[in-house]
Amino acid sequence: MLKSVTIFTTNTCAYCRMVKKYLSIKGVLYDEVNLDENPHRRSEAQQLSGALTVPITVVTKIDDTKEVIVGYNLARLAPAIA
Amino acid sequence: MIDKTKQIIVYGADWCPDCHRSRGLLTDLNISFVYIDIDKNQAAKKKMLDLTGGRNVIPTIILPDGKILQEPSNQELEAALGVNLKQTAQDKEYIYDVIMIGGGPASLTAAIYTTRERIETLILEKGVVGGMAALTDVIDNYPGFEEGVTGLDLADHLQKQAERFGSKIDYNEVTSITIEAGNIKRLKTTNGDLLAKAVLIATGSDYKKVNIPGESEYFARGVHYCATCDGAFYRDKKIAVIGGGNSAVQEALFLTRFASHIDLLVRSSIKASDVLQEKIDELVSEGKITVHLQTKTLAIEGENNEVKRVLIEDGSSNKSKLEVDGVFVFVGLEPNSKFLVDSIIELDDIGFVKTNDNLETAMSGVFAAGDIRSGATMQIASAIGEGATAALKIRHYLEG
Repeated sequence: MLKSVTIFTTNTCAYCRMVKKYLSIKGVLYDEVNLDENPHRRSEAQQLSGALTVPITVVTKIDDTKEVIVGYNLARLAPAIA
Repeated sequence: MIDKTKQIIVYGADWCPDCHRSRGLLTDLNISFVYIDIDKNQAAKKKMLDLTGGRNVIPTIILPDGKILQEPSNQELEAALGVNLKQTAQDKEYIYDVIMIGGGPASLTAAIYTTRERIETLILEKGVVGGMAALTDVIDNYPGFEEGVTGLDLADHLQKQAERFGSKIDYNEVTSITIEAGNIKRLKTTNGDLLAKAVLIATGSDYKKVNIPGESEYFARGVHYCATCDGAFYRDKKIAVIGGGNSAVQEALFLTRFASHIDLLVRSSIKASDVLQEKIDELVSEGKITVHLQTKTLAIEGENNEVKRVLIEDGSSNKSKLEVDGVFVFVGLEPNSKFLVDSIIELDDIGFVKTNDNLETAMSGVFAAGDIRSGATMQIASAIGEGATAALKIRHYLEG
């Protein structure tokens, strides 16, 4: 069961839009951290994923375990929010 | 069976996992519903309590016939609706008029035409709707937009227009196409088999790798192929861009909004349009970009999981190193046609799909349009034109 979902995005990232659209279709609510508007959180995104890319989706389960999904990766995103 | 024309109402709250589950099931079953968050709408909460005799339990689901379900399991909800996911899955054996593989400009345009003709159309996309166009910052040469249009906006408009006439878009990947009795095409996908009378292949192309040491090792940690995705991580940093075609130059121009300096590493000479070349020249004179012609990039080097420099060789075989924080690679395109290698559909030497004058491939009733087609000009305007042409040819084929 989900506790929260956070997506790190930028304004120009098409894959970010796809992740947001997918979560909306699935009825999953999420918080968005736009790195263009919040550049001070870039290092947080990098630390979470180990990557310098967006989208980064952080799925926190009810038991506080976290799954970090880099990119628009439905093979990982779909089971993570199931 | 539920009457899909009448509304189902789901009372729930953001924090309620079972509400998410029930909403997800309804979505998967393609059943529309109205969702009301009782934390944000006290009047609706009161109405829910009135309907349920004061039982403050969510999700509370009101069916069109007035039946009330509270905290139903998925099985209970499916039973009340008279449907189930397994049955929905079996519906996939239904034969579509046309399935379009790839959701870029060519197929979105073709879908506008086919659906307006009442030809049932399913688009399958494995990545981003809008394809490579959606990943492009600004498209300056697409007619009708005198100031240019962002790739995301163009993709959005194309998608909405295709959906307005009834196109459906599914997110999965096709792994093979075969032809069966009655000229029916079977598409194996990552989500099961689908059948169609006609198929449009519009899978486009992807950026090539440059295949040098360090490229894979530092992928997404300093080596990138999507400037609009990853450029923001290089604010006030130094970048190398590898490539000298339109894409490389355009992406380098986009990256100047973030980077303090860009080294453009060009193996031979710049082959970009005059307009782009002029823009590059301006930035070179401002000291923002340095162009290295006749320059091979030999390796990407780094330390502690970070890119630190690129090793280059100039036209006189002199090797040197450039200190950079990141590398963006745009060295050409490769076709997305691996799923066709074992089919009877003919590919050219590079892997692009061969077609006849009707845009039909070697498999009857399977057409190709856009960047994936052998001989394509790799222009969005051309892909859109080919999409329209392919739709008319598909209609003719279906009329048989």
